Amino acid sequence: MADQLLLQLTNISRDYGAIQALKGATFEIGRGEIMGLVGENGAGKSTLVKIIGGFDTGFTGEYFYDGEVRHFGSPTAAEHAGIAIAQQELSLIPTMSVAENIFLAGDGVPQIASKGLLGKKAKPFLEEVGLGHINPMRVTNRLSVGEQHLVEVARLIAHNPQVLILDEPTAALGETDSIRILDMVKRLKDRGKSVIYVSHRLDEIFKICDRVTVLRDGESQAPRAATDMDVNALVELMLGFELGDMYPARKPITRETPTLRVRDLWPDGILEPISFEVYPGEILGLAGQLGSGTSEILGAMTGSTKSRGGTLHYNGEEFMASRPKDAIRRGIAFCSEDRKHDGLFLGRPIMENLSAPAIETISRNGLLNGAKERASTTENAIKFTVDPKRLPQEAGVLSGGNQQKVALGKWLSISPKVILVNEPTRGVDVGARAEIYQILRDLADQGAAIVVASTDIQEITNLPDRIISFYRGVRIGDLQLDEMTSANILEQITDPFHEAGIAVSEKAT
Amino acid sequence: MTDATAMSGDDLNFIQRIRRDYSPLVIIMVGLFLFVFVAGATLTDDFLTWFNVKTIIRDAALVGIMAIGLTFVTLSGNFFLLSMKEIAALSIICFATLMGADWNQWGPADGDPTTSALMTTFLVAFAATMIIATITGAMQGALIGLGGNPIVVTLGAAGLFFGIGSWWSDNLVVSYRRPHGAEWLGTGSFIGDIPNITVAFIIIAILAELTLRYTTFGRQVYLVGANRAAGRATGHENFGMAIKCCIIASVCAAFVAVAFSGQVSSAHVNYFSSEFGSSGDMTIMVIAIVMVGGNSIMGGYGSTLRTSLGAIFISSIDNMMVLNGFNSGARVLAVGLMIVFSIIVFALVRRGSRAVE
Repeated sequence: MADQLLLQLTNISRDYGAIQALKGATFEIGRGEIMGLVGENGAGKSTLVKIIGGFDTGFTGEYFYDGEVRHFGSPTAAEHAGIAIAQQELSLIPTMSVAENIFLAGDGVPQIASKGLLGKKAKPFLEEVGLGHINPMRVTNRLSVGEQHLVEVARLIAHNPQVLILDEPTAALGETDSIRILDMVKRLKDRGKSVIYVSHRLDEIFKICDRVTVLRDGESQAPRAATDMDVNALVELMLGFELGDMYPARKPITRETPTLRVRDLWPDGILEPISFEVYPGEILGLAGQLGSGTSEILGAMTGSTKSRGGTLHYNGEEFMASRPKDAIRRGIAFCSEDRKHDGLFLGRPIMENLSAPAIETISRNGLLNGAKERASTTENAIKFTVDPKRLPQEAGVLSGGNQQKVALGKWLSISPKVILVNEPTRGVDVGARAEIYQILRDLADQGAAIVVASTDIQEITNLPDRIISFYRGVRIGDLQLDEMTSANILEQITDPFHEAGIAVSEKAT
Repeated sequence: MTDATAMSGDDLNFIQRIRRDYSPLVIIMVGLFLFVFVAGATLTDDFLTWFNVKTIIRDAALVGIMAIGLTFVTLSGNFFLLSMKEIAALSIICFATLMGADWNQWGPADGDPTTSALMTTFLVAFAATMIIATITGAMQGALIGLGGNPIVVTLGAAGLFFGIGSWWSDNLVVSYRRPHGAEWLGTGSFIGDIPNITVAFIIIAILAELTLRYTTFGRQVYLVGANRAAGRATGHENFGMAIKCCIIASVCAAFVAVAFSGQVSSAHVNYFSSEFGSSGDMTIMVIAIVMVGGNSIMGGYGSTLRTSLGAIFISSIDNMMVLNGFNSGARVLAVGLMIVFSIIVFALVRRGSRAVE
């Protein structure tokens, strides 16, 4: 396969002012090959993808496509040549039907087409991505996020591309949706398409990729066959050094008096009120796929999601937060899963981000104390290995991993006793991931009670000390440390009632 | 900021230093500002006289103070108050009506009232006007804070305030006798020949900038404006923020109304619709200043200092055009072009900085 190269880039360099994003990188992909593209945040993956797709034209180096030297002037030119990119962010129009979205560009269908005709034309493309069961006339926003990603790919396939670039297609997806994406990629390969698969989830890379290209600091490593490597070897290539064990060691925990008792919390998306305790020094995991209700539980505990009822017993007090302020005042921090939405002030300096929850503590009589702010944010920046020199920069210029560190790090400013984290490492590279795990573990060791909700099966198996699992709003079970295997957890969060042969609704009643 | 950007500044020349320390937007705006002044000074004989400079700043003062108030609303991510001129209209009617009321019980029954009687009248009228402005601001702020669309809320409020003012004054000019207690603010000057309203503009500009930079409230304005959801998640709700910012804008509008009334010893609900500024419409003028100053419409980026400079900039251009004999239509056109231009520059610069990431 590899001897029949479809796309070849050699000695590609690209700089943005003082920052050199790519330094003589090389990339190739054969016909009908799945090439994994991995690297830490800031390694140059996005830049390379943009260059391949014609979004970025200011590079130097050779670009061969289908045996010819090309230099695409625009994404449209690249698309006509058969190179399509599925971006991380969905670009579907949510209020239009699936079929209308697929033919949004208007080619391949008559100028005037009835909805029925569009639907009929859309059907084969939907089948190709594994959405054959979906009615093409359905409004797109009624589909799950995973299904929407598949529709996005279906739209690209409608142009019959030769190379399809998938940029972290599963970053926002749960386990089952991810599997659908992977199945689809394999089907595309069987039909002779080439796929460039960019992902932070290394297990996926090994599951589907033929070869893997690693980028590190803008330089590429020669592509290697996925079968010749294991996860550790790959991580080593990405980082340039050995990572050791990514997950910090757990210490034995004595569970005597809980820091926080949750009683009869009942947010939307959860079928019956739930109660649980969190003890000082432990990391409690809430395991569940997207839509299992774990996000809503964390949100309801701090008043950012509505709850039908329930109370928190904390610090000798019984209360229910009706807005995040109520929780913050008591020292309960909640780091949400979507840092761009409500985790960061992207246009404001990193320093202001880090001190945002604790403005009161760095000011007196309504006046900010600049020295105090600088001191406390510098301390937290160092804890999260964010360069304190960057404090005056806008948070938006940071890479995803560093952004997540700031989003999480800002909560240290209120010295929280309870820390709730939803998806602590979404879209974060391996190196930053290990750091975040270590920081969470250190905080727990210092006596904080931590609750982590995650859809990442590796993370939820290896980080917490105890797990409560959820499936579609139903609490399935509590797993202690000795029962916490990936297989156990996966069964509970994907197909818990299989053996008993009962439906979810029955269990709920 | 300078010492933290990690580059050693010794080997950079002057232009490189400026490019490092200031955003392109600031550079463009300051450059344009200088250009207008230099061009104005060379092309127009009377432009750079002490008298004319005073005139420019005095003309900028009234709209400038209003624009500074509105900047808080814009920075906090609550768009604009489209009711600025109607708030001023209601305020000026309220103020003039109370100024003209028979307060003679504090002074001799016949002859000229004493100074203290005049001041008492003024203070009562001023306080009442400010209270009304606070209420109008809080009302709009609360509706916006609850999730009302700022455009719809403030357009509705505009009709309401104008209606009340018009009804109250029977749509007539409300005038009061000179001497009165507001003359010092309207036309007086304590420091040499610098009008007091100019001094008030400068003081308000400085106070507003200090508030934004160094107070907890100012920081919250920026945070909530930069990302409302993140603001809520970190304990800064937009509800209180919208109310506070709208009150600031509303009180500034009322203050301008009082000062203007002090100049002309009268009031009419249409004073801010037709007889004011080059564009003839106070609301549009004030929004233009906020925009030309380079504040982000989306909030979270900008400052009242920029607004103040924007006011002086627009006033300079206006002044130059008057000196060169342009009619009011051409001046309105110039203001419109400046808004469009500043929006384009702003969008391009912001997009440029994104691309570099």
